[in-house]
Amino acid sequence: MTVVGEGLQPDEFAATAARAVTACAGLDLREQARNLAGDGLLGITADEEVGGLALPIGFAVPVIAAAHSGLLAFPLLETILVGRLLQSSLTRLAAAIVSGEKLATIAWQGEALAEREGGRLVLNGSLGRAPCAAEVDHILVRMSDGASVLIPTDAEGVVVEDAAGLDLTVPEHNVRLEKVEIPIGSILPAGTWDVLSSDANVLRAAAILGSAEACLALAQEHASTRRQFGHALSYNQAIRHALARQKLGLESIRHAITRSLSGDGGPVQRDAAFLAAATYGCSISEGALQIHGGMGFTWDVPVHRHLRRIRTLQAQGDASGLISTFGRRYVSEVAPFAEAGA
Amino acid sequence: MSVLEAVSTHPVAGENLTGEAYRDVMHRWLRASLPASFRSDSAAFAAPTLQQSVAWEAAMYRAGLTGITWPQAYGGHGRSLREHLVANQEIGRLAMPESVNSIGKELAGPIILAVGTEEQKRRFLPAILEMRNIWCQGFSEPEAGSDLAGLRTRATQTGDGWRINGQKIWTSGAYRSQRCLVLARTGPLEDRHRGLAMFAVPLDAKGVRVRTIKSIDGRESFCEVFFDEVEVAQADAIGAPDEGWAAAIRVLEIERATNRMYRAWRFENELRHLISACKADTALAAMVADRHYAVRLGEVAVEIEVLKAHVETAVEALASGDKIGARGSLAKLYWSESHQRFAALALELLSQASLPQIPAIKVARRRFEAIYLQARAETIYAGTTEIQLGIIADRILQLSRGK
Repeated sequence: MTVVGEGLQPDEFAATAARAVTACAGLDLREQARNLAGDGLLGITADEEVGGLALPIGFAVPVIAAAHSGLLAFPLLETILVGRLLQSSLTRLAAAIVSGEKLATIAWQGEALAEREGGRLVLNGSLGRAPCAAEVDHILVRMSDGASVLIPTDAEGVVVEDAAGLDLTVPEHNVRLEKVEIPIGSILPAGTWDVLSSDANVLRAAAILGSAEACLALAQEHASTRRQFGHALSYNQAIRHALARQKLGLESIRHAITRSLSGDGGPVQRDAAFLAAATYGCSISEGALQIHGGMGFTWDVPVHRHLRRIRTLQAQGDASGLISTFGRRYVSEVAPFAEAGA
Repeated sequence: MSVLEAVSTHPVAGENLTGEAYRDVMHRWLRASLPASFRSDSAAFAAPTLQQSVAWEAAMYRAGLTGITWPQAYGGHGRSLREHLVANQEIGRLAMPESVNSIGKELAGPIILAVGTEEQKRRFLPAILEMRNIWCQGFSEPEAGSDLAGLRTRATQTGDGWRINGQKIWTSGAYRSQRCLVLARTGPLEDRHRGLAMFAVPLDAKGVRVRTIKSIDGRESFCEVFFDEVEVAQADAIGAPDEGWAAAIRVLEIERATNRMYRAWRFENELRHLISACKADTALAAMVADRHYAVRLGEVAVEIEVLKAHVETAVEALASGDKIGARGSLAKLYWSESHQRFAALALELLSQASLPQIPAIKVARRRFEAIYLQARAETIYAGTTEIQLGIIADRILQLSRGK
């Protein structure tokens, strides 16, 4: 990363994040939150008024990458995004999230339908892909008009259910909203979801980068030390070329993230970074699993845990829907052929 | 006004511009100057003759669009690599013909800049930029394709120069070139990479014979070049034995990452052309609006964005003083394979066009059928895919080969 803010370099945060991740091992979610907050990681992009560091999102990239490389069992990406999102409208809550006092997550799938009843709003809907929703205090959900709303999990009518999911350490939950009444003030302005999604795509790409880096390192190590037929696995061209392709995928993710954060970066580049990460992250982690053979299927080797995470992130960002939108947008922006415009 | 007159009468771009002003001038000059008949996305397209290409590329040079980073002392424009990228982005955005002198500009020139004598720099470099000398690359041989250490063409020192005997193959454009950058062996075959020397051999020298080979696209641009007792002056030896080859390796590493830097933006031009042609056709318009092809076109668009990221990262690294090393292989592998996937998709789409064919489809088919065939070579030339994978495994991942 080359983003610079007040003399700090984003990469300096990677080491802090790696240490924090190690320190979080074995702690419950609230203890992890306090630890991570103590290192300034929950409010890395939030304003100073709510206890954040007010750094650009490029600084969150190495933090998220390190967190996923170390398989942090905490919804860090969601916490960073919610803390910043609330800083203007729900300042006190934002400060509580940044300090680790309150826990928040985001339901990435589905929309809530809202009906106004006097000064309150009544929400109904079925939502999904909400990491750690069973243990948090608030869930951010998308509304059908593109706005978003923060819902306390202890509000009447909020039902958090276990959901099948690949990531076992940051489990996803489904959320049912049955006539949930919330104050109008909990609604965040229209357009906030789009901004949130765009930032989330960059951070998801970073998360996948962290996991993919870990997978490639593990595969490389295994290929260099595991011996079969009298040779290290890496003696075989098929293995060497497979690892080389994984390296190409990894650097493609890294460069796409860098570009999405550069002066030329916009929504297209952010979407592209996530889509590239989803594609190459899957092939890197699946390829690493293949190279590990049977060992990759054990809990002693974390490759499959990264694969589970990457597939989960791919779904949370709706990569298959996004690539369709991305293609359609591209097609719609090109005029039919006419010689004058050729 | 003829094509040649048209390109030669456009004004030369201003020399003191920077940033977006520089981009704007390059952008406007290219659009005002590129003849419609040179644009492969135009119904007026007619493959330019050699004479037309030479005139066009000389005009591009005068406009500041080639030799961008070469020192002004040798005819270059003395600009930065970042400005080179800006100019190439603008070049890529138009469907213009490939250079007939890319070997001169992207291989021979940089090697001469790296290890040539002062006299060679002054003699060769301006002639390349002004298109007075077209170069070809004499590296590959019948028994030495990917494995250049196995080349057999021999250079023997004479009293005042060298004598070259041997044969080169896959020498693109030798029939139209004035000089060939020849890699030859000065010692025994067993020396492998040691003792390789590089020469700027004039192709009108006595003993040089060029034979064209018909290639996949039906054209005869590939050549075999035979050297039979060819006398080469010491002044045409590029660097000392070993030195020239070592420089070539360094230059190739950089070039692999940065040559034809416009590629990502040209691929984008191709993608936009493909979509525009499809949208003009009844059947294809419905197909590209459908999810299946929207996804596949989206995948091509993402790959183009990633390719841009590879190029821009390499430029930033080089501009910051980093060595690119083997990382050039990553970009080469990426662009060559992604372009093949894109070209195959283009053919697949265009083959489903309505009948009778509308002009837009005729134009697109002509362009993309050529691109498809050319793209098949892209994973072979400049180091095959397998060679690139080997470089990444050996030099970037540093995988053990130990038993």
